[in-house]
Amino acid sequence: MEAIKFEKVYFSYEDGEETDDELFGNRPTFSLDGIDLTVQEGEFVAVLGHNGSGKSTLARLTNGLLEPQSGKITVLGIDTGADKNIFEVRKNVGIVFQNPDNQTVASIVEDDVAFGPENIGMPRKEIGERIDFALNAVGMQEYRYATTTRLSGGQKQRIAIAGVLALKPKIMILDESTAMLDPRGRKEVLDVVCKLNKEEGITVLLITHFPEEAMLADRALVMDHGKIVMEGEPQEILAREAELEKYSLTLPRSLKICRALQNGGLDIADSYSVEEIAESIAEKVKKTGAGTQPTTSENREELRWCEDGRGEIVCENLSYTYNEKSAFATHALCGVDLHIPTGAFYGIIGHTGSGKSTFVQHLNALIKLPTAEKKYKEKKNKKNASTVASTVLKVNGYDLSDKKTDFLALRRSVGMVFQYPEYQLFAESVYEDVAFGLKNFRKEMTEAEVTDAVREALETVGLSYEEVKNRSPFELSGGQRRRVAIAGVIVTKPEILVLDEPAAGLDPLGKEDVMKLLHKIHADWCKTVIIVSHDMDEISENCTGAAIFSEGKVLAARSPKELFQDGEYTQKAGLDLPFTAKLVNALKNRGVEIDCDLTTADFVAKILAICGNGADSAKGGGYDA
Amino acid sequence: MRDVAFGQYYPAKSFVHKCDPRLKLVFLIVYIVAIFLCKSFYALGACALVFLLIAAFSGVPFKSLFRSVRAVIFLVVFTAILNLLFYNGETPIWEGFFLTWEAVYFTLFLAARLFLLVLGSSLLTLTTTPVSLTDGLEGLLFPLKWIRFPVHELALIMSIALRFIPILTDETGRIMNAQKARGTDFETGGLIKRVKAITPILIPLLISAIRRADELGDAMDARCYSGSKKRTKYKKLKFTWRDLIAFLVMGALLAGVIVMKIYLPAVI
Repeated sequence: MEAIKFEKVYFSYEDGEETDDELFGNRPTFSLDGIDLTVQEGEFVAVLGHNGSGKSTLARLTNGLLEPQSGKITVLGIDTGADKNIFEVRKNVGIVFQNPDNQTVASIVEDDVAFGPENIGMPRKEIGERIDFALNAVGMQEYRYATTTRLSGGQKQRIAIAGVLALKPKIMILDESTAMLDPRGRKEVLDVVCKLNKEEGITVLLITHFPEEAMLADRALVMDHGKIVMEGEPQEILAREAELEKYSLTLPRSLKICRALQNGGLDIADSYSVEEIAESIAEKVKKTGAGTQPTTSENREELRWCEDGRGEIVCENLSYTYNEKSAFATHALCGVDLHIPTGAFYGIIGHTGSGKSTFVQHLNALIKLPTAEKKYKEKKNKKNASTVASTVLKVNGYDLSDKKTDFLALRRSVGMVFQYPEYQLFAESVYEDVAFGLKNFRKEMTEAEVTDAVREALETVGLSYEEVKNRSPFELSGGQRRRVAIAGVIVTKPEILVLDEPAAGLDPLGKEDVMKLLHKIHADWCKTVIIVSHDMDEISENCTGAAIFSEGKVLAARSPKELFQDGEYTQKAGLDLPFTAKLVNALKNRGVEIDCDLTTADFVAKILAICGNGADSAKGGGYDA
Repeated sequence: MRDVAFGQYYPAKSFVHKCDPRLKLVFLIVYIVAIFLCKSFYALGACALVFLLIAAFSGVPFKSLFRSVRAVIFLVVFTAILNLLFYNGETPIWEGFFLTWEAVYFTLFLAARLFLLVLGSSLLTLTTTPVSLTDGLEGLLFPLKWIRFPVHELALIMSIALRFIPILTDETGRIMNAQKARGTDFETGGLIKRVKAITPILIPLLISAIRRADELGDAMDARCYSGSKKRTKYKKLKFTWRDLIAFLVMGALLAGVIVMKIYLPAVI
């Protein structure tokens, strides 16, 4: 039987959502524009599409959270349009949403999983069995009595899946359920989903914007402007570069490298697996007879220490404990030593809870050293004087251990962009929001000077000043809001810019755009840019140096090349390797030594050079190709 | 262990922790009533004795217990001074002095009563998680369903509120940090300046709360939520032998205080 069937389904949000898009003119915009779709029972279907393409609407229509304007939707033969069927439909179609925090009802895991069965009036004994079954299926039995807020993102999403599973649905929809997770959490969730599909025979609709995730499915769909524009096997669909580009999607990283090599004249087949790509490269290298010519790559990290310490961070023996003297004390930092030179584009990596966020909060004194507190008196703290005194923290030339330091000036020169910065916007207009920091820091500025600075900042982040200045930040799209938030920080012209997961939650194209923007800011505005990231590829492509944090300590701080090459440090910290590093290692196992700085561009150039295709032609094959 | 990161819950596995929250709530009410029934130091002493007994079995260190009293010390001292000055007694401490013995007794009595009240309530919150408190309250209010009082909805609202407290606390911290990094100064300046500085925190927080509520509503709908109609409840509170013992202690306390009220001379 068909699990899901859409017949000529049209849907638009009430009042036909206002749109400034010239393309559409006065035509009502449909979120779903005549969708025909059939999903067979037991099938695993991935739905790809950029933000606003109608993917989420599709999910909500399937379980009756929304009703179509016209057309018919049936789920397992049940018509979703009839009100009396609504609970039957919802019982059979479970949805897991994006934000793990906003779909948990209860404070205790067990109670939350019980919520669904309780709603349909199931007897107590059976609910207990359902909880066992659901927690078992997602591998979270031991957390049955745990507090939901204490879990990691991946665990929270697994609980959300369990909460849906407890109703024993035949169909499960994951509406970008992995978008807010780190790689480890993402893997946890996807493993569970694959298992449910294979072992329990649950039909899965995986809505995502990561091409790599779509690879897991039997079939992939691409949506654009409310229409299904591509359909077929994931391997086949994800290779159609030109079409994907048209719908604002990207190739998987593996294919990007294959294509860049092909463009450079190396005749290798498309492949999604590291081993296969390495195999065919190794074959080519051996065939061309050039053998292994170790060409050395310059280390990207330029150490530029300067006299006044501008743009530089020196940190020695930094420790920090949350909730000191309470039952919940946690040691976030235990003696961090880290030097970040001027001019660096620096990466800080590590798992959630490794101390990286605590560390960056020290950089502009959001967490002050005890010696910098107003109340601090040297005599009083004689006992810990020895440990406290040996802590050194100098940022941009300011001594953060001294309470006489001008902390306002420090904060002006060290910009800080937090995770999901768009959620911190508050003003009535974009102009007011961007000018907010400037007016706080530099009260002496005239309105004209402020206007100039705001204009410059907005244009830098790629927004048109005239167009957005009077608009409410809440009218803008997610990506635009993030740009406004970044503009609101760089407007004070900080010398060091720190960003906590600047690309989190964005689709691949959005991520690339943000990285390009940061390089631009690095070149034109700030001496030093520091990004906190979970994404190893992001680090290897963009950073001159990086530090791995693990358990409150710096495990290693090197250039990406040294950090990732033998995989020793990442393994210790439980992190993945960037794709290029995996390739280099796979090639090494086949006797081909490549010495590259682990950017896609350099990797491709080195391979082509070895194979005698000349480095020039590979220049265009950069990471954003 | 059902740990919580907020409130003043003290995680332990004591006799008192394991008691049924419904019984603990009723016990607290009886305890408060008993304290108000006390008219003599003996009766109050009995209450104090029961309190000490429970506290000793709760596994909560006295230090954290008395920390909760700190907040009311000011109130106690303030009322004590007023009482000393204005209570109309008859036997002066010494001839011609305005302080009377009655005023001193009365003041001491009131202070002791206030401390016992606060200590009793904190012992409840120290040994009971907010979640099981909500469960207990729902259990106790259950009969009100018959007069169409929305007990289930109220309990759900409370438990969702509890669940979002840590999330919104985190979010407040994050937003505060972000605005601090943009030069907002929360630490100095007069009242008006500080209130003004809160706007950039309140607005994003409010928007975020609304967004979360919206998403939570969808998630609840998707899991077949339809109000209390034909809904079952998985978690059932059960009375055990512990609760029986506690119940007997409670009865003894109430009876003792009433007897003393009848047969002993009153201080006030």
